[in-house]
Amino acid sequence: MKRENFSLANYIFFCAATIAVFLVCLCVGSVGISPANVFQSVLSFLTGGDIGTAPAGKIIVFVRLPRVICAALTGATLSVCGAAMQGLLKNPLADGSTLGVSSGAALGAVLAIALGGAMPFFANAGIVPTAIIFAFVSLFAIIALANKLDSGLAANTIILTGVVFSMFANSLISLIISFSGEKIKPIIFWTMGSLADANYSNALLLLIAFLTASAVIIKNAAELNACAIGEENARHVGVNVKRVKLLILIASSAAIGICVSVSGTIGFVGLIVPHITRLLTGPNHKRLLPASAFFGAYFLMLADLLARFALSPRELPVGVITSLIGALMFLSVFYRASRNK
Amino acid sequence: MNKKFTKAVMNTSILILSLILAFQISGCKKPEPIAQPPVSSEITSDEPSEPSATSSEIDAAEPSEPSAASSEITVTDMTGREVKLTGTAEKIVVLSPSDCEILYALGAGGAVVGRGEYCDYPAEVSQVPAVQSGSETNIEQIIALNPQVVVMTKMSHSAEQVDAIENAGIRVVSTDAQNIAGVYQAIELIGKITGRDSQASALVGEMKSGFEEIKAQAANAGSVSDNSVYFEVSPLEWGLWTAGKNTFMDEIAQITGLKNAFDDIEGWAEISEEQVIDRNPAYIFTITMYFEGTGQVHPVDEIAGRGGWENIGAVKNSNIFLLDSNEISRPGPRLYEAAKKVYEIVYAGSGN
Repeated sequence: MKRENFSLANYIFFCAATIAVFLVCLCVGSVGISPANVFQSVLSFLTGGDIGTAPAGKIIVFVRLPRVICAALTGATLSVCGAAMQGLLKNPLADGSTLGVSSGAALGAVLAIALGGAMPFFANAGIVPTAIIFAFVSLFAIIALANKLDSGLAANTIILTGVVFSMFANSLISLIISFSGEKIKPIIFWTMGSLADANYSNALLLLIAFLTASAVIIKNAAELNACAIGEENARHVGVNVKRVKLLILIASSAAIGICVSVSGTIGFVGLIVPHITRLLTGPNHKRLLPASAFFGAYFLMLADLLARFALSPRELPVGVITSLIGALMFLSVFYRASRNK
Repeated sequence: MNKKFTKAVMNTSILILSLILAFQISGCKKPEPIAQPPVSSEITSDEPSEPSATSSEIDAAEPSEPSAASSEITVTDMTGREVKLTGTAEKIVVLSPSDCEILYALGAGGAVVGRGEYCDYPAEVSQVPAVQSGSETNIEQIIALNPQVVVMTKMSHSAEQVDAIENAGIRVVSTDAQNIAGVYQAIELIGKITGRDSQASALVGEMKSGFEEIKAQAANAGSVSDNSVYFEVSPLEWGLWTAGKNTFMDEIAQITGLKNAFDDIEGWAEISEEQVIDRNPAYIFTITMYFEGTGQVHPVDEIAGRGGWENIGAVKNSNIFLLDSNEISRPGPRLYEAAKKVYEIVYAGSGN
């Protein structure tokens, strides 16, 4: 019998790979800093020692380290949520952006900026909660509407409602942008996504989001497996489909709302990483979910590395990179998969 | 069977919808501010007043004084188009804030019958009817104001818009100032069409000698030990943007004897926070908008409080300053004031 769970050896392997990617991302950057210097800085930071006054130490501790951590956590959260939504809704196109959750969160952030008066820093205090609240409200609006249309909450109904809601939210964002004059720059940030402002409190927030969401999701891996085979089927083997659906959707949308509030909408991660992972691990959620989290972390860390490094000293918006690479990877994976059939 | 078909239709429509969505999202991703100082200076203006194009008469009390012989004028504008006017322009719609400032500086403010919504200087311009400008330029509003000439900036308008206005029998004069020399050109061009050549050359002369004076004083002030400067166009929260080579800020740095820490980058660009810490500038000038009394942390304090920045020369020595973004990024006469302010900040009071 094929092993079902993500074994300890798997975890050790993937964790080792994470550390490797993490270190590469920490050592490479816009400003060249020798690995020895990097380790020294991190070490003295972790042990509470003096990181010195040299720019290298400051860059590692205050800029690069929090940023790489945020990239890893955001990538992992978006991917694990995407994988769960795809399995749950039995739809390969499901993820935070197609379900309208990301757009809803972005709309919340944009509204907070636009209505928060001309006070970017004060308003910022309100942006994170507003984004999360909007992620929730969007999700409930979508589910309520889908429920009205189809009381069984069929997967396609939810997706279709989500896509329509996304378009609605995006057009509202465009409308707000066209009325917002001087506040346009922050708003563009929310629609583009960037990790440039990453710091440790963001990292902590993301860590909580990731742990909570992935715990809820991975705990329901067996139910997800049943749902992926078919909702009828799931019901027959005793899964409370509606309850699982609500639980997972709520956990994912809260986590996605937090990701959006920290780093804007970073597209494609939650959509493609689970697909690529599925080709390697197979469709069993007990393996797919943890592997997706790891791959998502690698993907976003490396994409952000490119954003930081490719045109140094310039920066690129990370959302552009994830979408570019993501679309190409997606196509090639799809092409190969369909040829192998 | 039927169910299967419905499902297929649904799947296809979902695919199409998400494709549309993807395009929409990618449409939002245009990095607007690249090398477009004037755009952002438009952004920084106060709340644009409601466009009201109804009154086409000039209510302005003082009429412009046209030059005695109002014979035909031919000018070549800054896009190389030849524009023929039947006489000096006495009814002008001006769309960009910088050209508007030039018109008023030349004393031709009375000829302005319409302004772009972001034109906000001098203050009296707010009494002039506003029209939408940029890519949403409202050509109907412009025609309703019945001007002889529309002055626009090449960067923010398309050839189609120019054609549409020209087809309505209104002459279009485009400016395109990329540097201070370009500003002089724009001033002379606008002087010509308003019959104010002498005022224009006087203004240009004034600016030139002003800049020369600052340059000489800066040179005399002796060498500042470290003269590197970082211009912050957008704060960390939204991603750091700076002004590199071939920007007005870079030119002003040169005039005031400073060295732009990012002069290896062309135009306006998003840069990495690491680079700022590494380049360790001695001065930081920010043009982040500050709204007093709104609870916003002052941009200078916000920069001074950033983690990891405490050992940057500018932060250590409290050499962080807030500049008026309209002054330093609009290609108009006020660039001189901006240079003067930078000079005073750097040299006044510092024992050098």
